[in-house]
Amino acid sequence: MITHQKRSLSQIVMRLGLYSILAFMALIYLAPLFVMLINSLKDVEEIRTGSLLALPQNPSFAAWSKAWGSACTGSTCEGIAPFFLNSFKIVIPAVIISTLLGALNGYVIAMWRFKGSELFFALLLFGCFIPFQVVLLPMAMTLGWLGLASSASGLILVHVIYGLAFTTLFFRNYYVGLPRELISAAKIDGAGFFLIFWRIVLPLSPPIIVVTVIWQFTQVWNDFLFGVVFSGADNLPVTVALNNLVNTSFGGKEYNVDMAAALLAALPTILVYVFAGKYFVRGLSAGAVKGA
Amino acid sequence: MAALTIENIKKSYGSTEVLKGIDIAIDKGEFLVLIGPSGCGKSTMMNSIAGLESVSEGRILIGGEDVTHANPKDRDIAMVFQSYALYPNMTVHGNISFGLEVRKMPKDQREIQVAKVAKLLQLEHLLERKPAQLSGGQRQRVAMGRAIAREPKIYLFDEPLSNLDAKLRVEMRAEIKKLHQRLGTTIVYVTHDQVEAMTLADRIAVMKEGILQQLASPQEIYDRPANLFVAGFMGSPPMNFIRATLTSEDHLTITTASDSLQLPLINGCISQQYIGKEVILGIRPEMITEPLEHKSDAAFTQVVSLKVLLKEAMGADTIVQAQFAETELRCRINPTYSAPLDQHCDFMFDMSKAVFFDPETELLI
Repeated sequence: MITHQKRSLSQIVMRLGLYSILAFMALIYLAPLFVMLINSLKDVEEIRTGSLLALPQNPSFAAWSKAWGSACTGSTCEGIAPFFLNSFKIVIPAVIISTLLGALNGYVIAMWRFKGSELFFALLLFGCFIPFQVVLLPMAMTLGWLGLASSASGLILVHVIYGLAFTTLFFRNYYVGLPRELISAAKIDGAGFFLIFWRIVLPLSPPIIVVTVIWQFTQVWNDFLFGVVFSGADNLPVTVALNNLVNTSFGGKEYNVDMAAALLAALPTILVYVFAGKYFVRGLSAGAVKGA
Repeated sequence: MAALTIENIKKSYGSTEVLKGIDIAIDKGEFLVLIGPSGCGKSTMMNSIAGLESVSEGRILIGGEDVTHANPKDRDIAMVFQSYALYPNMTVHGNISFGLEVRKMPKDQREIQVAKVAKLLQLEHLLERKPAQLSGGQRQRVAMGRAIAREPKIYLFDEPLSNLDAKLRVEMRAEIKKLHQRLGTTIVYVTHDQVEAMTLADRIAVMKEGILQQLASPQEIYDRPANLFVAGFMGSPPMNFIRATLTSEDHLTITTASDSLQLPLINGCISQQYIGKEVILGIRPEMITEPLEHKSDAAFTQVVSLKVLLKEAMGADTIVQAQFAETELRCRINPTYSAPLDQHCDFMFDMSKAVFFDPETELLI
């Protein structure tokens, strides 16, 4: 039973202080989103003459539909919709492949230790800390040799390679928390490498799979640099299209369209986090509590 | 033919030798217990038999077949782990049938086998549950069921009861014993609990620092420990050790700074060549009791007055720590015998089961 106790004045003041700090921080974080949202609902004239923080007088989704379907991105004027599709074509395979390979890598490094596996893992970790810019040139040459330059497959390959360091790290750290005896028991039961992975290890992995998928989805979707360098004209992802849209102007700048386009481009990652966010937090703290 | 033969097994991690040449052979249907203090190599030995760890030297034969380098799955063994290692994502049914499924047993036969095992271990009502929904004792039974279902040549038990509470441990111990008697299986069982070792084993292998100290029946190990280590390790409370000099064929003298005491010996229980030399006398606590009427005339008893230092009532009997020369002795007396603390009382030494060790080699004489 929880008994209700009267809080002292100082406790109440402390609480109020705490909540106001939290509310203030939340406000700061949400302010840009708010500004973008209200201005995407105004027309250009209203933005130019009024305050950036004023609420729209006649909210309309005109800018949103223009951003989606008819705004000019460089030489074409079809909005960002076609590039959405491009992004999905790149993101979905890249996320699935890098997650699966990461799971397999992590499984090997955590449970089938071989001579030098720790060194292998340490070297792999370097991948997490190498800046994108460093690998651009060698990657471009490699893709050229492979005949994958300026193709969606090439961009997927780049994202898979770059993502592997992280996905391996995630899965490895999750799998070292699983009891080794589980693998021993399965070995004695007669199961081999892949059967153990498929029947025992993978079914225990949903929390870390969710974490990895969210992480990889966000990374690949938000990527600009690789997209602009490796995708070629036909496969531009939405981030690159957004940049082109903002930089293409005839006469005055259409801030409302820019903001609507930016919000649209950010929508998938926001939605993924909204729907799977609680699994994300749960997965990150998995292993902290035993027997969950 | 031996069910399991271990020939001169050696194992080292880098420069650390964990197993230093172990030889054991057990017969079909035999229950072997490996016991020893932590780090004695008993778990390494178990993992080597299972094939989970490779050995550096020596051979392992199961049913006459050399499996030294075989995979665990090709050894026809089953293992029960300390943590049970049940597959958390599978039901009890799935856990028991997984090994059968992997070995391509047809589904109808699998169902029959699972039902049989479930009945044997009273798991029928739990078959659809996940391991997380089971109690410790139930998990233990499922782990055993998983091992039994495959009907392997050898069962390996790695400290299977150490995660259970004391009461359940006694129950499960009896259940394992019954199971062994019913199924007549060959079992290798690792434990550090000497009660488990004594009660379960046909033979006990006592290990220390990677060396097999003694391999014998529980009674033999208790009555005739091969060396000082085994004598001190097996038995609770442990055996008393007293330095003494063998004065004649039927007497032993314990000399202290202030005093000297003679204890009788059964004629011929110790070799002539030790007469006049120093030996270590080993005597179990239950052989030092209150003076017993019916034994008072026997030649192998002697009543000695000792100072009582500490009393521990166990219920059935009381363990007394008493001062004897420079050493403290543990004696097992009847709780009704009055032995007040810090006072001298009479205790009877029964030398009929006394053992002697060479102080140099620490081996049994």
